[in-house]
Amino acid sequence: MDSGKTLCSLLKAIQFQESAVFCALPEGLKLTVEEGKCVQASAYVPSDNFTEYHVRDDVDVMFKISIAVLSECLNIFGSGEESSLKMYYRGEGSPLLLVLQPQSMYNVMTDCEISTQTADSVLELRDEDAEEVAKLVLKAPAFLGLLADIERSCEVFELNLSPEHPNVSIVTYGMQDRSCIDMPKSSDMVQSFSCESPVTLRYQLHHIRSIMKALAISTKVVLRCSSNGLMLLQLKLEKEDQRQMFSEFYIVPLLDD
Amino acid sequence: MKCHVPGANVKVLARTVHALARFGDELYLESLPDCILLRTLNAAESAYAMVKFNKNFFSYFNYNFYSTEDNEGLKCKISMKSALNTFKSPAHIEKQVENLEIKLDPESCKLIFQLKCRHGIVKTHFVSILDCKAMQAVYTKDSVPNRISSPQRILSDALSNFQSSDDQVTLEATSHSLILRNYIDCSIDLTKVIRTQISLKPAEFDSYLIGADTTITFSLKEFRALLTFSEALNLPLQLHFETTGRPAVFIVHNGTTFEAHFVLATTKPDNASQTTATQNTNVERNKRKDTSTLGSAKKKPHLETDISKCLDEDSHLFNFVDMPGENEINLSNKLSGSIIKDNVNGKDRIDLMDCDNIPASPAARTMIKSVFKRCFESTFDPRSIQGAVLAENSDSD
Repeated sequence: MDSGKTLCSLLKAIQFQESAVFCALPEGLKLTVEEGKCVQASAYVPSDNFTEYHVRDDVDVMFKISIAVLSECLNIFGSGEESSLKMYYRGEGSPLLLVLQPQSMYNVMTDCEISTQTADSVLELRDEDAEEVAKLVLKAPAFLGLLADIERSCEVFELNLSPEHPNVSIVTYGMQDRSCIDMPKSSDMVQSFSCESPVTLRYQLHHIRSIMKALAISTKVVLRCSSNGLMLLQLKLEKEDQRQMFSEFYIVPLLDD
Repeated sequence: MKCHVPGANVKVLARTVHALARFGDELYLESLPDCILLRTLNAAESAYAMVKFNKNFFSYFNYNFYSTEDNEGLKCKISMKSALNTFKSPAHIEKQVENLEIKLDPESCKLIFQLKCRHGIVKTHFVSILDCKAMQAVYTKDSVPNRISSPQRILSDALSNFQSSDDQVTLEATSHSLILRNYIDCSIDLTKVIRTQISLKPAEFDSYLIGADTTITFSLKEFRALLTFSEALNLPLQLHFETTGRPAVFIVHNGTTFEAHFVLATTKPDNASQTTATQNTNVERNKRKDTSTLGSAKKKPHLETDISKCLDEDSHLFNFVDMPGENEINLSNKLSGSIIKDNVNGKDRIDLMDCDNIPASPAARTMIKSVFKRCFESTFDPRSIQGAVLAENSDSD
C-alpha cells in the first residue's frame, strides 16, 4: 500500500475500544470493534486499495489486535509523513509484521511487530429475515453538523421516517426540553430517500454520537433501517486516488418499555 | 406572541444569549407591544443584564398573536441552558439559519423556537417555561456624572493583558486618565500575585466625560462577557457610572433595533472588611428591584459617611504602598507602553522587611505584615492619626 495515512485515520474513527478483530478476507481487510453488544463498528478496506494483496483462502485469517498500537505504528514517522506500508501475517499465533518506508527519505525503514491474540467471536447483528424498511443517503459533513448541534445531555435520539412531509424528523429529549429537527427529502443534504411506511425508531444518543469521528472523514453516509429496528450506517471515505474505504456501524435500538 | 427574526439578526440574538449566559442561569423574556426584553440576573445579584429588541429588529412581530385580553404583555422565565441549546455556535449560525420564529402562547407551557436552516432543515426547540414572572432592576444611567464612550477594541485589548485568574478589576477614572488595574484582595500574599495596571488616555475614547473623579471595582467575568458581545457585534460601548457602591451601567446599542444594558455592582477597593460591607449594600440595592424603592435608606448615609471616608484614606494608602515607581512611568507612557506587572516590586519590599524583623518561625509571617502595615499608616498618612474611624474599623473586625 502506498500510504498508511488514510487507514490510520479510519482506525482512529472506530477506536472506542481497546482492541479490534482484524479479519483479512479475499475482498479486503476488515477491522471490527464492538461496544457492549450495542454498537458494532467496522473499518473496511477493499483489496483494490492495495498494490498487492494476497490472502490464503483455505484458512480464516482472523485475530485480535490493539488499535492504539496499530495506529501508532502506522503513524511512526509522524502524521505529516506519507509512508508506504507492507503488512505480513503468517498464521495463528504469529505477530503482525509491518514494514513502513517514508516517501521523502531513502534508506529509512521501520519494522514493526505487533503481537496478536486469538479473536473473539464477532456478533452477527444482521438478521437476514428482517427486511429493510428505509434507506437514506446523506451528505456526511452536513449530517455531522446536525449531530454536533444536538445537545449532549439528551439521552434519547428518536428517528421518525415517513413517506409524508417532513420525511425525516429527529427528536431529542433533554432534561425538560424537546428538540426536533425536520428534514424534507428535497433537502440538499438528502441524496436519496426511500421509505414505504412511517417508522419510529429510538436509539441512545450516546451510540449515535460514536459515529461522529468517522463522519468527519467521510463524504457520504448511507443509513438503513431494518424492520427489527437495527440501524446500519455505511460511511464512504474517498481518497485522492478515487479509491474508497468504508466504515460501517450497526446500532441496536432502544426497546420500548 | 409570535415573531420572526431574519437571518442576520439571528446572529445578534445568539450573541446576546451567549453574553447573558455569562451573567445568569436563567433568562427572563418579556414581550411588550413594541419590543421584546431579555433579562438576566446572576446568582449573587451583583450583575444584571437587559437587552431590548425593538419591533423593527423582527421581520414580523405580533405581540398579541394568540389574541388574549391580557394587555400586560407576556412574561416567562426559561433556563439559560435551554436557551444556549437553541443558539449553539453563534459564529456559524448566520451561515446556517435563514429565519427564526419565536412563539409564546400564554396557554401552553412551552416557548417555541423554530429555526429554518439551510438544506431545508427545520429545527424546533420546545423550551419549558419555568416561571411566568418578570424581573426588573432599578438603576439610573442618565443622571450620572461620569460617561465614557469607548470603541469596542480598546477595553478588550487592555483586558487581554490581565491574568485569567483575576476576578475583579478596579477602574480609576480621573479627567486626564483612566487607569485599569486588577483588584487584589488584601488577604492574598502580595508576593504570589501579578499586578497589572494599564493607563488609558482620554484621547483613546470616542467621548470622555468625568464629572467626579472616582474609583470603582467590579467583576471581571461579566465585564469580559459584555466586551466580547460589543466586539462581536462591532458596536461601541458606553460606560455610565457614578461612584463606588453605585452600579455601573454599560450600554451597547445600534441606535434603532436593539439596546443592551449591562449593570454591574461596584465594590469599594482595598480592605477586606470594607469590601464585605459594601457588598452588603449592593445586595441591599439589588433586592430593591423586587420591592420597589424601599430598602437601605437607613443604612446608606451611615455607610457613605463612614466608609467612604476610610475608603479615601485607604485608597490613598494603597497608592502609596504600591506605586511610587509606577506612577511616573505610567503617566509618561501611552497605552501600549504603560502595562506594568510588578510582582517583583512587592516581593522585594517584603523580603527587605523580613530581614529587619527576623521572623522566629514561618507562622509569624502574617503578623509581620500587619506590623508593617501599621507602621506604614502612622508614618505616611497623617490623616489616619486623627481618625476615630480607623479605631472603629479595627473594632468591627
